[in-house]
Order: sequence, then C-alpha cells, then structure tokens
Amino acid sequence: MNLDKAKIEAKKMLSRGEVKYVIGYEIGTYGFRISPSFARTPEEVDKFTLSPLCANNLVTYLKVERSPPLPKGIKPSNLKVALFAKGCDSRAILQLIAEKNLSREDVFIFGVPCTGRIDPKKIEAMFPRVVSKADVVEKDDSYIIMIEGKDHPVPKDKLIFDHCRSCQYPNPLVYDLLLGDEVAAGEDYYDSVVELEKQTLNERWNYWRSHFERCIRCNACRNVCPLCYCDDCILERLKPQWMRRSVNANDNTVYHLTRAYHMAGRCISCGECERVCPMHLPLMKLYKKLEKDVKELFEYTPGLTAEEKPLLTTFKPEDSEEFIK
Amino acid sequence: MSGIFKGAFEPNIIAFLCNWCSYVGADLAGISRIRYPANVKVVRVMCSGRVNPLFVIYALRHGLDGILIAGCHPGDCHYLQGNYIARRRLVLMRRLIEYVGIDPRRLRVSWVSASEGAKFADLVKEMVDEIKKLGPIEQFHENI
Repeated sequence: MNLDKAKIEAKKMLSRGEVKYVIGYEIGTYGFRISPSFARTPEEVDKFTLSPLCANNLVTYLKVERSPPLPKGIKPSNLKVALFAKGCDSRAILQLIAEKNLSREDVFIFGVPCTGRIDPKKIEAMFPRVVSKADVVEKDDSYIIMIEGKDHPVPKDKLIFDHCRSCQYPNPLVYDLLLGDEVAAGEDYYDSVVELEKQTLNERWNYWRSHFERCIRCNACRNVCPLCYCDDCILERLKPQWMRRSVNANDNTVYHLTRAYHMAGRCISCGECERVCPMHLPLMKLYKKLEKDVKELFEYTPGLTAEEKPLLTTFKPEDSEEFIK
Repeated sequence: MSGIFKGAFEPNIIAFLCNWCSYVGADLAGISRIRYPANVKVVRVMCSGRVNPLFVIYALRHGLDGILIAGCHPGDCHYLQGNYIARRRLVLMRRLIEYVGIDPRRLRVSWVSASEGAKFADLVKEMVDEIKKLGPIEQFHENI
C-alpha cells in the first residue's frame, strides 16, 4: 500500500538521522477526528494513517520551524522536515518558496494525490455523536464509513468539502516521493461566488454581516493558515492599531476584510480556515472571490511555481484600468 | 466623523493625493481659482503606491463617505512604478468591498497630472454629486 511505502521511507530517514521529524496524520481521540502527528523516532511512524478524513494542511506546522528564539542551549538544526502534502498543500509550499519564506532543501515531501477530503462538519451532521473511533475507506464514487463494525456507504458528493469539488490541482505539484497514481482534476467553477455576486449590495451586506457578527475572533483562521506567517500580525498590532480588538459586527467585518485582502493572490484555497472555524463562517466564499478576481484580472494563480514573483509585488503596463475614471 | 455636518447631507471625503502630480494638480486648481466643493480633505502622500489598501477599510470603518485616491498617469510616476502597483492593489480592493456590499463608487481612483487642475476640480465635483445621491455610509453605523 502507498502509506506503507511512505512509512518505510520515513523510518529509513529517521533512523539515518536525515530528517528532524516527519509530520503525518494519526487517528484522533474520538469519532471521525484526525490529528496531525509528529514522528521523531522510527517507532512513532507506525501510528501514521492516511484516509479521506485527513484534511489538515500540514504545511502550517512549518511555521514552528521558522520562529526563533530557541530554548537556551539548543542549537538551530539544519536537518530537513518531512511531511505529507496533498495538491493544495504542495501549492502552499510553492507559494512559501516564492515568497522566500522557505527553501526547497528544507523539506522532504511525500506527495499524496488527493481525491477530495471529507468535511468533518458534514460527516458529523450525518452521523452525530459517534464516540468510538470510526474509519473511512474510499471506493469508486462513494465512501464506506465503518462505525463499530457496521458499514455505511455514502456517496462522495455528500461528504466532500465544497472547495475540493472544484479543485484544479489534486496532484502535488512538488514532491520527493509520490504515493499512488495521479488523479484527474475536477471542474473549475465558482458557483457560490457567482450566486452571491448576483444579489444586490444590500443583500450581500446583510449576508456577510449576519455571518461576521457571529465571529468570536479566536484567530483560528489565521493561525491555521499556512501562508499567514508574519511575526508581527496586522490583525493584532497595536502600534499602529489597524482595527479595534473588540468583538462586534463592525470590527469583525474589518478583521475579515483585512485578512481576505491580505490573502489576495496568495490564497491557495486549501479551505483550512473554513474547516477550523468554530462558528462555521463561510470564509471560503470570501477567499474564492479574490481567487476568481485575480484569475480574471491578472491571469494569475498562486502557488504554481516557485519562481514566479508574488502577484502584488509586480505589475504589467496593460493591467485593467476599467475602474479608473 | 459623520456628525460634523448639520442640516443637508454633506459627504465627508478623504483624498490621498500623490506628492508629484495630483497634489500639484490640486494646488493648481487653487491657484487658478477654480471652485470645487470643500467636502474633500486632502492627505498628501509621496506616491499612490504609498496608499495602503487598508486605508480604504479604515476610512469606511470610521464613517467616511468616500475615498479618493489620485496619482500620476501610468508611466509618469516619480518612482517609476508606484502607480502601476497601486492600480493592481486597488482594483482588488474595489472588487472586495463591492462583494461584501459597500457601494464601489465610494472608492474612486483617478490619474491627475500636475497640469490638470481643472480635471481635479471636476473630479471632486462629480464625486461629491455622486456620493450625495448615494447618501451617507450606513454600513458601519450601528454600535460604533
């Protein structure tokens, strides 16, 4: 099996001391939970798992490597970090390299061709209060969900993340070891964004307002984002203070607009922000809009190559001027 | 901020003008004694590329009815490419605020050169008329 191939390689690298640790997935504490797993010794590799439930974008954890200061007496290590990366995760890596925040030599990538991941919110709505550890196997166009020895087949479309359905890059664009065969890309569409665009200004404002006012400003969307790496984050900077820290509809709107704008031309739509949001805000609708605009206006898609300059640091003389009067 | 004007609605507009072209253009409008509405408060910046798109959100959040950003014509930038970069940033910001339900006409971007005093006056007149029609910004008013 593909995971076994990765496990053998990971064990080899760890026992030779080539990598500091391997980041993978392990089965979580209950139900459909999956948690990221850090293996520092070859034995720890055995707990790794790989299933359609493994949605986390592990590239986020590379931030840990970047943040000094180290504890007293510990020297910075030059060893690599190995991690599993799906299509979107590999784009995050490429975008980080393009932004000069990571160098390719620092990571070893197990590429995972991805056929879509299960949205925990959807599966927990379908099978509420599952306490015992459940497993999911993919079979053609459906998932077989195994809870306490019983099999429940469910069509794939009902469980998959919305952004996975329109995923253009399911295969890792950069990897050292590819696990499994490449899969076909989905169809590119922006249904939910176009639908919202058709509404009037007021309807749109009320829509976003109704969601933003529920935000509790837990910063989970920022913390989980693989591309949010600023040490001094504008969302909580006090000098100058860009937004008040009070939790109310006005300031939450400013918060989300600022974050969305900050992701313009950088967001690789891995959908982690929406997955971790405890208040179930439809954040991908906001980021997808920017992705769509960037594609329309500048024919640019972030995270495809490591050489291309980030969108907003460059320009073309023939850029759109429709809005300038 | 919105409480400054009493009586008929007078929009409160902030203008970011680039030091090398648009500010001089606005100055020329003054020197040439061209009348234009006093609703616009000018902030001089060194380049339109200096205008952080977050200024737009900040201004809207604090109750300003309109934002005007003006710079040199493309190719004339004192810093060679500042206005090109501003153009990329602001088109995205304009589309973003439109998407969340703020009228994009409240954000106006224009190229005004140092010799275009009359254009600057017309621009301000036009913008003030337009925003008077739109009315005061209501989006951020509750519980400020």
